[in-house]
Amino acid sequence: MKPTIGFAGMTHLGLVSGVSASEKGFRVVCFDPDPARIGQLAQARLPVSEPQLDDLVAKNASRLSFTALPADLASCDVIYVAPDVATDDQGASDLGTINALLEVVFDAARADAVIVVLSQVPPGFTRGKQRPGRLLYYQVETLIFGRAVERALYPERYILGCADPSQPLPAPFRTFLEAHGCPLLPMRYESAELAKISINMCLVASVSTANTLAELCEKIGADWSEIVPALKLDRRIGQYSYLAPGLGIAGGNLERDLATVCSFADRLGTDAGVVRAWIANSRHRRDWALRTLHREVLSKIDDPVIAVLGLAYKQDTHSTKNSPSLALLSHLHPFRVRLFDPVVPASAAAHPRATPCASELEACDGADVLVVMTPWGQFGKLDPAAIGGKLRRKLLLDPYAVLKAGACRATGLRYFTLGVEG
Amino acid sequence: MIVHHLPEPRNPSRVVVIGARGFIGAALLRQFGSVGVPVLGLSSTDIDLCSDGAGERLAARLKADDTVLMLAALTPDKGRGVATMIRNLAMMEQFCAALAKAGCAHLVYFSSDAVYGLGPARVTEETSAAPQDLYGTMHLARELMAREVKAPVLVLRPTLVYGAGDTHNAYGPNRFRRSAVADGRITLFGGGEETRDHVYVDDVAALALRAVRSRSAGVLNVATGVSTTFRRVAELVASAATRPVEIVTTPRAVPVTHRHYDITNLLKAFADFRFRGLGDGIAGVRE
Repeated sequence: MKPTIGFAGMTHLGLVSGVSASEKGFRVVCFDPDPARIGQLAQARLPVSEPQLDDLVAKNASRLSFTALPADLASCDVIYVAPDVATDDQGASDLGTINALLEVVFDAARADAVIVVLSQVPPGFTRGKQRPGRLLYYQVETLIFGRAVERALYPERYILGCADPSQPLPAPFRTFLEAHGCPLLPMRYESAELAKISINMCLVASVSTANTLAELCEKIGADWSEIVPALKLDRRIGQYSYLAPGLGIAGGNLERDLATVCSFADRLGTDAGVVRAWIANSRHRRDWALRTLHREVLSKIDDPVIAVLGLAYKQDTHSTKNSPSLALLSHLHPFRVRLFDPVVPASAAAHPRATPCASELEACDGADVLVVMTPWGQFGKLDPAAIGGKLRRKLLLDPYAVLKAGACRATGLRYFTLGVEG
Repeated sequence: MIVHHLPEPRNPSRVVVIGARGFIGAALLRQFGSVGVPVLGLSSTDIDLCSDGAGERLAARLKADDTVLMLAALTPDKGRGVATMIRNLAMMEQFCAALAKAGCAHLVYFSSDAVYGLGPARVTEETSAAPQDLYGTMHLARELMAREVKAPVLVLRPTLVYGAGDTHNAYGPNRFRRSAVADGRITLFGGGEETRDHVYVDDVAALALRAVRSRSAGVLNVATGVSTTFRRVAELVASAATRPVEIVTTPRAVPVTHRHYDITNLLKAFADFRFRGLGDGIAGVRE
């Protein structure tokens, strides 16, 4: 008989993980202490936007139960504690929610239940929560906004923090993990907690390298997009490496790990100079659009109108945490802006001169310049000629190269993107 | 990054410029006068901040709701040694004593990019101040003294300032122009390969006006964000001259250094501010 799996904390991570577990054929108890949140979920009104998520909730309704009663967790063989851990502006984690939720789970779980910390926590956290007679594990989550369901259904591996990695995993836990058909990597708690951070640091290193060299490309006549394929064919770098230039690091999770490494380094006297350089580079690149706008538009045109497509911090998500688009708009208050995002309302920008628009082309209508600040897939399907037909001046800033540079330039648009001179 | 203490810009009741006879001070008087801001300009002939009791005399001229712009300093052409630095610090001591007594609504301290030294080529306000001479050290110390004042304090760090009425003759547009007029020749260090950022004096004054009207506080570099080689500056001066000008290179004595300002913070603070292009600025200077 398949074990019953519990997920405590019905924000992004817990909800996606729970729904994905039901898709694997397990009965799943989704618990959150907030009755209002549970009420919404019970009516299939989801607080997050992720591809496939709504469909899977409907498909697996018979295996999913949503509850605000801790006692309902007593039926679970494995309970994941998975609330999103909020961060402040400096990337520091607020562990208050997970601390409180863990207490609830410890009280409600059966003595033989396996409790697994799934949230992103700093090294040392899980060992600090260990209690005599309790089966406590930490599991690295690899949620990617916009690909969360896919990542939960088809993980590359499971990194498991254990009190004693030489001991076999409890049977229900192993059964659930093996249903995903990926390697299991047990290790001590601290290694697993740091493994999560290590993964993110490697990603940040790649992105920072890409951003640093893409900026140089913009000055010396090179084209970063021509260089990337050469790097991906290098086995030491690899085809899946993060080499797309972007507007700095956003979303909150990578920033959290950067802050955590700096905090530990400061406390323990290790060198984090390179990490601080990544942070500085991220902040610098985040403002590419502002600098380019100033150079090409704001310093030349009186009372310009700026069309902005995209408010979310990346495509396929409702999240605006550290969104480059909102950061840009916060510095454009003297100017008229026309805004469109497929999911995020224009009010999220809190801009005093904003005009909310119902479509991409409506946003372009009468604007002097178009800035594509989130790489939503649907933006890539826009007709450059139609864009050009709506803009007063044929200026297009497309940092993520959502549109084809050649097609845009062929229609007479002046096209600027990351990694190549405009 | 700077913060604006006034969400809606407005003119202050009065601006007091300390060091009003200097190159930038005079531009500030013109700027504030042109927009109808009451302005009191004080120079060393009015109050010698190096003299005994200067703080008391200055306090008597100030009002608690004044916006005070502090530019008075002995510049490097008056000396680069310890004695000059000590006199500059003593002036600042008197100045701060005056503000402690009279109060003010807003203080703008004009520092210098000399606080950065020549280490990093790319400079932002987050770049660590690491002055390499006593002049830069003096300004950094005076910045810290200014921050003791009980009012919003803005530190401006102008880079190379040029324009009509420059009382100095530092290497760059002003010296090149005078040399072109006097000798028909501009002499470069080496081939003039170094890049620097040159800001027009009236732009400095216009930016200061913006900061005063928003009661801005923090640290802000005053630079255009565009760096140009001295060779190019010489060419611009030569093209603006009314007579043929020869540009002469010399054997390089010191290594080439560069300086680029990332002015993103300035763009965020004053998104619609526009700097004059270097060519336009040089062409517009007549003395």
